[in-house]
Amino acid sequence: MEIDLFSTFHSEAEKKGIMFYYSGAFSQSVITTISDILKNRFDGHDFHSFNSRKVFSSFIEMVQNAMHYSPEAPEAGGEKIGAIAVGKSETGAFLICANLIDKNYVERISKKLEAVNNMTLEEVKAAYKVQLRNENHHEEDDISKGAGLGLLTMARDSKSKIEYRFENVVGYEDRYAELHLKTQF
Amino acid sequence: MDLYLAATNDSPEVDFRFSKHTLIMKGEAFPEDASKFYYPIVVALDQYLKTTDKQEINFDFQLTYFNSASTKMLFTIFQLLNKSASTNNRVLLNWHFDEEDDTIKDFGQEIAEDFPMLELYLVETSTA
Repeated sequence: MEIDLFSTFHSEAEKKGIMFYYSGAFSQSVITTISDILKNRFDGHDFHSFNSRKVFSSFIEMVQNAMHYSPEAPEAGGEKIGAIAVGKSETGAFLICANLIDKNYVERISKKLEAVNNMTLEEVKAAYKVQLRNENHHEEDDISKGAGLGLLTMARDSKSKIEYRFENVVGYEDRYAELHLKTQF
Repeated sequence: MDLYLAATNDSPEVDFRFSKHTLIMKGEAFPEDASKFYYPIVVALDQYLKTTDKQEINFDFQLTYFNSASTKMLFTIFQLLNKSASTNNRVLLNWHFDEEDDTIKDFGQEIAEDFPMLELYLVETSTA
């Protein structure tokens, strides 16, 4: 990037309300580091327009999902890679997370997101209650590595539906896709 | 044998002083591998409860954040305590929560509903 383009990059990010942006490896140490940065940014400002606890909760669920489920990125030395943006909006705050997924999981993930997005907040809370008490989750779903509560937690914390998109990964169209998720607070 | 785990960047302080029947969990919980983190805690607690009778157990629950995988494991911990409270021990659960934190307050209510044998006391704290 030419030095004069940096001001364009910087001011565009500012205009979109970006408070934090990261692109690169998703590992637990990266997650704890970003957690500290986010907490500092939230603490240092007067953010009455949104609930920073919910932003943090959604951040953790998104990046840990990405870390647990992303395939190792090609040409990245076996690392899990992704990107995360946290920003302010006119009505509060938003969070966007991008990560690589196996192309085979596109349908599975869409179905899960659609199911959660079709629920009211009350239904999300009820589904959360049921899943918390479900002791057969791993028998019912052998792909899930967690408690099956991640998406429900995101849906519970977000004041809008979970927006999502699948993007092509240039050069790997047959094997991978990039999942983009957005929640709002 | 007592169990003590110091807090880390992503896991809470766990101070299970079985010899004094006091249990404390404090801080934030979003470990990379929840099963791996909680397994020794659940095992130690289970062992303690099996060999403890007619005691008053005090649990100070002071977590300020826990991820979804931790929530599931915490549920298991309260399940064990409730079982013990319904047979041979008294369990007092002091539920510390920030007045602005609905998530932790709600989870406390869930625990109270599901595990009626636990004597739950809400302890409201303020960030201000």
